[in-house]
Amino acid sequence: MNRGGLIDPFAVGTCGMTIQATVRGICCRAPINSITVLRRSGLMVSMKRSSAIIRYALTCLFLVFLCLRTAVTPAAALPTGIDLSLNGFGTVALARSTDDSAQFVRDLSQPDGLTRGWHFENDSLLGVQANLSMGPQWQGVLQVVSRYQYDSTFTPEITWGFLRYDPNPVWSLRAGRLGTEFYMLADSRLVGYSYVTVRPPVDFYGTFPFNTVDGLDIAAATPVAGGLLRGKLYAGINQELSPLGRDPDFDMSGSLLEGGYLDFFKGAWQIRLGHSRLRFEHDLPVESFYDRLPTATADELRVAGKWSSFTSFGLTYDGGPLQSQFMLSKTHNDHGTFQDTWAGYLILSYRRGDLTPFIGLSAVKSAPRTLEQPVYPYTDLYQADFHSDQRTTFFGVRWDFMEKMCLKAQVDIVRGTADSIFLYRWETPDWDGSMTVFSLGWDFIF
Amino acid sequence: MPTPIVLLTRLLLFWLLGTTVLWADPGVLVVMNSASGVESLTRDQVVNIFLGRFRQLPNGMPALPIDQPADQPLKATFYQRLVNKQLAEIRAYWARLVFSGKTTPPRQAETPEQVLQWLAENPGAVAYLDTDPPSQVRIVFVLSAAP
Repeated sequence: MNRGGLIDPFAVGTCGMTIQATVRGICCRAPINSITVLRRSGLMVSMKRSSAIIRYALTCLFLVFLCLRTAVTPAAALPTGIDLSLNGFGTVALARSTDDSAQFVRDLSQPDGLTRGWHFENDSLLGVQANLSMGPQWQGVLQVVSRYQYDSTFTPEITWGFLRYDPNPVWSLRAGRLGTEFYMLADSRLVGYSYVTVRPPVDFYGTFPFNTVDGLDIAAATPVAGGLLRGKLYAGINQELSPLGRDPDFDMSGSLLEGGYLDFFKGAWQIRLGHSRLRFEHDLPVESFYDRLPTATADELRVAGKWSSFTSFGLTYDGGPLQSQFMLSKTHNDHGTFQDTWAGYLILSYRRGDLTPFIGLSAVKSAPRTLEQPVYPYTDLYQADFHSDQRTTFFGVRWDFMEKMCLKAQVDIVRGTADSIFLYRWETPDWDGSMTVFSLGWDFIF
Repeated sequence: MPTPIVLLTRLLLFWLLGTTVLWADPGVLVVMNSASGVESLTRDQVVNIFLGRFRQLPNGMPALPIDQPADQPLKATFYQRLVNKQLAEIRAYWARLVFSGKTTPPRQAETPEQVLQWLAENPGAVAYLDTDPPSQVRIVFVLSAAP
């Protein structure tokens, strides 16, 4: 998404470019003033990046130091009493694209993305987790992650912080800060060591800038029909910010998230059906744009107080060396801003010794809501900022070269339409919807 | 040039030898404390217990899985036969669950003796051995080959 252009589509008319003269909507959304902003911010971004990298390195050192000092050996006796353990995970990755006309981001929580130079920040991260077991039924978890975030820094944030109560093997309750569980990988998409690709498919997971909610969940499991049925319900309040506008950021705090899923395991197969919905508390930071529209039109576009729902189907086969994962999702919105979206992906991998080659396909396609009171062309231009229409073929290899460490290399070939811009940052009039991304990653756990 | 009869005899001999070798393999023995009240487990139950999906024993008691020391080949053999996975894959699996606040991995023993000690102390403990179990320990499942 072009953040310079999103703020106010009316600016297009006032900065000297006539809308009629431009053929593609994308030109309209990159007005002269935003190009100046782009250049200026390019410098700011590089300055911010270098300081962010230094801060990241310092955070890494500090956390590793902390771990070395407080590493706790497992208790000698089986689960009784109090047991504290400290673990962590991390990724150091380099990636680049073949295109400077749009920046590829891992997800929409990132303000800047990949260009033709190698970039360190988009996929690199470090997490540390403390587990406190208090007898067999109670557990406390605190996880802190440092990664590239909405304000171009690596400021550590609490990604998990909850108390868990398992009264028996069937039921489990958690309360506190929890990871969002829209989709199969969504609760652990930061833990690169746990999956084969460098990053979860961006076409599918990239639209979600929210990672955590403060709330509770309840899960139950029971054997059924020779397999295992597991269900979970959750609800909570989001507290995050997303860099959807240049200044200020999109404030998602106070947004209510609720949902649940059902898992069925049998042999090597797992099926998941999930449904979640989210009610934004605040509008996008484009009030000056809304103010200039008729009230009825603005109300159709406002997201505050309206629901977005996410329905998904997942199927995995995990039988020995062959692993496959398929997911399909449909997003529906009760407002005219974020577009209703279909997304899906398929990953196949086959382990041979320490090497696991993989291949995959992902795709996303969205459609704008038909407004009852459109104001041509402004509402069209505004809605076009949230459009996606692209597919990605990716392949690569994971190499488990050492205990608790792996190296990955991956190529993503993205093919889309020129108006597929929602998943990118800073696209220019040259953007044609296609690029190739090269990634190298080193994942570890400790 | 061997006659077809000789060839057939050799083939039969190889086949028998192969079967004998397989047959002589005692398999990996999944064991519990005999005081647990559990007579036997199915493969699916063992998978659910060791992969943390569902840790309830058939008699309703919570199951407490125990892993052999990581440096013992037995641990790798056990997971190879149980779910056809290498230890690196098992670690990746647990990384996902542990770092998303789900269930915890099996308790990791530091020595084979500690496995036996924990088995003796906890009626819900489930472990695996490759030798005949001592008295007070019951075989509840035999993992003969990969699924």
